Amino acid sequence: MDKLLEDILCVLYVMKIGPSDLMREYRRNGDDIRAAVHYFKKSEGAGRLRQMTFGGSGMHRKKTDTDDEPARILEYIKKHGLGIMHIGNKDYPSDLLNIFIPPPILYYRGNRPEKKRFNIAIVGSRRCSHYGREVASYLSRSLSRIGITIVSGLALGIDASAHREAVKEKGGSIAVLGNGPDIFYPPENRGLYGKIEKNGTVITEFAPGTPPLRTNFPIRNRIISGLCKGVIIIEAGQRSGAMITGELALRQDREVFAVPGSIFNPKSRGCHKLIKSGAKLIEGVDDVLDEFMHLFKDKGHAGKRPLVKNGYRKQKGYTDKPEEPSGLDPMQLKVFKTIGCRPKSFDDISIAAGLDAGKLLKILLSLEMEHIIREDPVNHYCRYE
Amino acid sequence: MFFKLDSFALIGIDAVKVAIEVHLSRGLPGLYIVGLPGKAINEARQRVRSAILNSGFEFPVKKIIINLSPADMRKEGSLYDLPIALAILAASGQINPNCFSDSCFIGELSLDGNINPVRGLISMVEKAVALKKKYFFVPGINAGQASFFKEIDIIACTNLKETIEIIDRGDPGGNACRKICLDISGNDSHKIDFSEVKGQFKAKRAIELAAVGMHNILLIGPPGSGKTMLARRIISIMPGLDLQQCIEVTKIQSLCSQPANDIITKRPFKNPHHTISRAGLIGGGVYPVPGDISLAHRGILFLDELSQFPSHLVEDLRQPLENREVVITRNQTSYCFPSNFMLVLATNPCHCGFWGDNESRCKCTEREIKRFWKNLSGPIMDRIDIRVFVSRLKEEDYINTESGENSEKIRERVERAAAFRKNNSKGRKIKYNSEASAAQINEWLAGNERLRKSAFMVGKKFKLSARGLSSIIKVSRSIADLEGSKNIKEEHILEAAGYRAVKAYG
Repeated sequence: MDKLLEDILCVLYVMKIGPSDLMREYRRNGDDIRAAVHYFKKSEGAGRLRQMTFGGSGMHRKKTDTDDEPARILEYIKKHGLGIMHIGNKDYPSDLLNIFIPPPILYYRGNRPEKKRFNIAIVGSRRCSHYGREVASYLSRSLSRIGITIVSGLALGIDASAHREAVKEKGGSIAVLGNGPDIFYPPENRGLYGKIEKNGTVITEFAPGTPPLRTNFPIRNRIISGLCKGVIIIEAGQRSGAMITGELALRQDREVFAVPGSIFNPKSRGCHKLIKSGAKLIEGVDDVLDEFMHLFKDKGHAGKRPLVKNGYRKQKGYTDKPEEPSGLDPMQLKVFKTIGCRPKSFDDISIAAGLDAGKLLKILLSLEMEHIIREDPVNHYCRYE
Repeated sequence: MFFKLDSFALIGIDAVKVAIEVHLSRGLPGLYIVGLPGKAINEARQRVRSAILNSGFEFPVKKIIINLSPADMRKEGSLYDLPIALAILAASGQINPNCFSDSCFIGELSLDGNINPVRGLISMVEKAVALKKKYFFVPGINAGQASFFKEIDIIACTNLKETIEIIDRGDPGGNACRKICLDISGNDSHKIDFSEVKGQFKAKRAIELAAVGMHNILLIGPPGSGKTMLARRIISIMPGLDLQQCIEVTKIQSLCSQPANDIITKRPFKNPHHTISRAGLIGGGVYPVPGDISLAHRGILFLDELSQFPSHLVEDLRQPLENREVVITRNQTSYCFPSNFMLVLATNPCHCGFWGDNESRCKCTEREIKRFWKNLSGPIMDRIDIRVFVSRLKEEDYINTESGENSEKIRERVERAAAFRKNNSKGRKIKYNSEASAAQINEWLAGNERLRKSAFMVGKKFKLSARGLSSIIKVSRSIADLEGSKNIKEEHILEAAGYRAVKAYG
């Protein structure tokens, strides 16, 4: 049994020293966790220190934590096949080590986190629009395909879409939780949790049994941005968790990317605010990868970043000017021409194309089957781009 | 001094013959009714006595025993007043007994001898026809409901005295009501019309198809989008009832509503409030009466604001939707009420109602929307072939859009499609496309591999279950009927998929 790990757990759960205090001592001792732990153990019982420990209340599982807590946690982890890693381990993610208060302990499920890995975070609103979901899926899929791991918070909406696409591809996904590793929250994403475990990692700094308290989530957001080279923000309201992540990313010296949205949608406010204050506006994967040219240089890509084979601009149907897709019969073409990039209602299309409902529906469905148009929102159609 | 005449009792919507037997004997004067009479029948003693005396006849001072045979069957209601009174008078020799063997009698008496209407008359007349009776004496107010039967003479009786005069003359046929030739084409006068609905082309088309194939339909839409307006107008485009169907409908309705004079020729539209009780919806009671699902027989059962209905009520619809009838069993007997209705459901897409309409206005989380739809179980949803999202009209469209087709035009098309189906389906048992079995669906697809394949592709693209696929094929058969096409084509399947692939739930 790792004596250092047990000591760290003891400092955190028995002495109730918060991670911020622990990390301050860690930095003071020249990034030596052993020395930091030694400092606290040595002065155990000193009232002065007791009073100092105010941060990280979310770390405490219960008020009734007892002296055998570290042993209990270790036993639980062993029993349930969880992984644990502490700061100072040789494969503790190096990017995470650079942030202000790195988590002293990481619990994980799935693959063991790696020291050097190119991660990018995709975060956004839980109540996202269809557009936001599509953007998240597309970016996540394309980035994961070239081996970049997508980090997100396993929330509903944008987060879930990003995870769902990433785990299907090479890069995989990392989910950072705001609760203990044994709790499935939100319950809708339970299936996704299992998929991430298989192709990626579910990480948390919270001990098993920690409930998903609302205060936990801003705390875990620093890990999301901390694990990554850059953070992509999609559909964030002005005061949202995604905006917190974005601000943290700036403080941690990470790249911040923002996806623009409709000016009529209040969910675009946050992203647009970020863009106005200097975040990079992105329209596709290329815009993201351009910022990391230097990284590819180091890795022996000879100055060329990896080719995005299924890039947005190369996707079917995309040109700068809308172009008629080939292979449509005259009726389909007629209907297609009446539909633009803005959603148009069924009734309006019917009047514009001069077709009755039955015929029109048939044509719309055939175009939808071919991925030429899509329904968004219900009873409204627009081109698929 | 024994006398016997025929009357009827109701079991559910069916009538059975009941013989009213009277025996006048010596003993302490009194009137005794036996043969499991209900409370109302026992009270007939007072009514009959007063009515006889007030009509100028003598109430025999004898011990009078009345037996309602079959004696082991419970009987209810006030409908035996008239036959009991006549039987007593005939047994005491005060009226001519000649025509009694060919006649039957129904009616409630007032104390002054007037005859009041009864419920469920039409079922009894139908039974009398089956028993080859010649004359049926009915309350005058009810007579219109029965007088279109050619095989039997209906004699409308307004009071006891007049009735006895008719009987004494010995030829009741001379006093029979004029036979009405039922005009069932007169049911196209609806107060509401489809032309009042602006826009909503997709929903209108879906409703037209639902009327062709009697498909159950679900209308989803934000508040104020016109779901209720559309649903109320479905009746106006459904094909008219034939005589047999009119009788069926009247039979059920006359059990519940106030006794009516006329036969019902319009399809019923039932729109129960969501606080309706189980017995009110399905039928029930100590002496079971039909619920709204039976009262909507041959018409529409419209559940507005579906999410407000307790889920157990909606679940109760499963069997009636499958069997087209509901069997209510009580410890004595089972009552079977037909319930072949078209189910029309309307609901908001989510709790706040604005999902899919105005996304920034909808405040529901994914989880709330899921919970909202969870109320509807899979088996019920499987029985709903057509689901259509009704969007709200933009403000300017209220003024600009021309009013659409009127109901009459649409109904003509629906009737043409119904006629086409009839011609095209010789020897086929099913009456409506929505009732098609799996074997039937296979037959439609037989010999057309391409069609089968494209149906499969559509199912895959829109993630449909096997049931979902089969309901798409049923709807595409209705589209083909409407178009006058013998075979289902690929395009029909595509269109039908458009009425199934609604993203609002699941």
